[in-house]
Amino acid sequence: MKLRILLADDHEIVRRGLRALLERHEGWEVCGEASDGREAIEKALQLKPDVVIVDIGMPHLNGLDCTRQLLQHDPHFKVIVLTITDSDQVIREALDAGARGFVLKSDAARDLVSAVEALQSKRMFFTPRVNDLVLAGFLEKGHAISRNEPPKLPTLTAREREITQLLAEGNSSKEVACILNLSTKTVETHRSNIMRKLSFHSIRDLVVYAIKNNLIQIELPPPTKTPAGPTAA
Amino acid sequence: MTIRILLVDDHPIVRQGLRTLLEGREGWQVIGEASDGAEALEKASDLNPDVMVLDVTMPKMNGLEACRLLRRQSPQLEILFVTQHDSPQMMREALDAGARGYVVKSNAARDLLEAVEAVSQHRAFTALNSRDAASLR
Repeated sequence: MKLRILLADDHEIVRRGLRALLERHEGWEVCGEASDGREAIEKALQLKPDVVIVDIGMPHLNGLDCTRQLLQHDPHFKVIVLTITDSDQVIREALDAGARGFVLKSDAARDLVSAVEALQSKRMFFTPRVNDLVLAGFLEKGHAISRNEPPKLPTLTAREREITQLLAEGNSSKEVACILNLSTKTVETHRSNIMRKLSFHSIRDLVVYAIKNNLIQIELPPPTKTPAGPTAA
Repeated sequence: MTIRILLVDDHPIVRQGLRTLLEGREGWQVIGEASDGAEALEKASDLNPDVMVLDVTMPKMNGLEACRLLRRQSPQLEILFVTQHDSPQMMREALDAGARGYVVKSNAARDLLEAVEAVSQHRAFTALNSRDAASLR
């Protein structure tokens, strides 16, 4: 029986690349694709894949919240997150969310097959940096991951995080209501609660919060009009 | 019509996706790949492609710098940017650097074939998502 994999990434060109990579492996099939976190949840519930591969930086619902919600629906889902960065914070959030695999997008061509094979054998797969962080936390504090980050802001509920992401993506309350199938009034109530909880006064504060907390990810442009010659982009 | 294409992107998985799309078109050939701007210059010189599909943000040398240098090194080469940056400013900069086309990565599966066809015939092709893109078309 084939191993069935669901792919979630907002770029079709990336999904094509992932599909080509995974389907070269005998006994594996990509049973579905999704272009955002909400669609990934719908398809996962409908298709019951053996492995779900989710990009962190997806619109509407990011890959971390998608992972949390999937595992709330069914803790047996096996999720691999794809990420453009393996910062400490992203690693912690992915582990907290319940991901069993963590692969850098830049290394996906090399690591993704190994990650799926690991999950197939009921093991986990992490990048060397994740392993180092987990080990450092274990050595420092027993079984917990090291947590020397500054105190966190008040915790938002899953719904509040979802609304925060949608607002930070530039949607109005009315548009958020339409996407989530809620009334505009309900969204505005959530919005007020979010702003109050976080002590924010502007949407700009909310956007900064969303970026810092990986609800949305942005790619910065390279420096412009630099003299010709090698530079880091 | 045969078109010889060089793919330049730092993510192998993106190159794989672009390759599967482009090689579906009869007569089109991906003749090589590069993962940064410096390698793109080398491969363009060695392989002499008709079209280069070029990313903006890459290590060592970004796509804009590579494009400016390629204009001098390989003036017959047509350059098509395929990038994450859905921004009129970035598109203007890419065209000023000498590119013939500009496609946003999120729309690549929809726009790429048409764009490669256009630039291979020395016609411009630009497509953004942003609401203020019209001013540049």
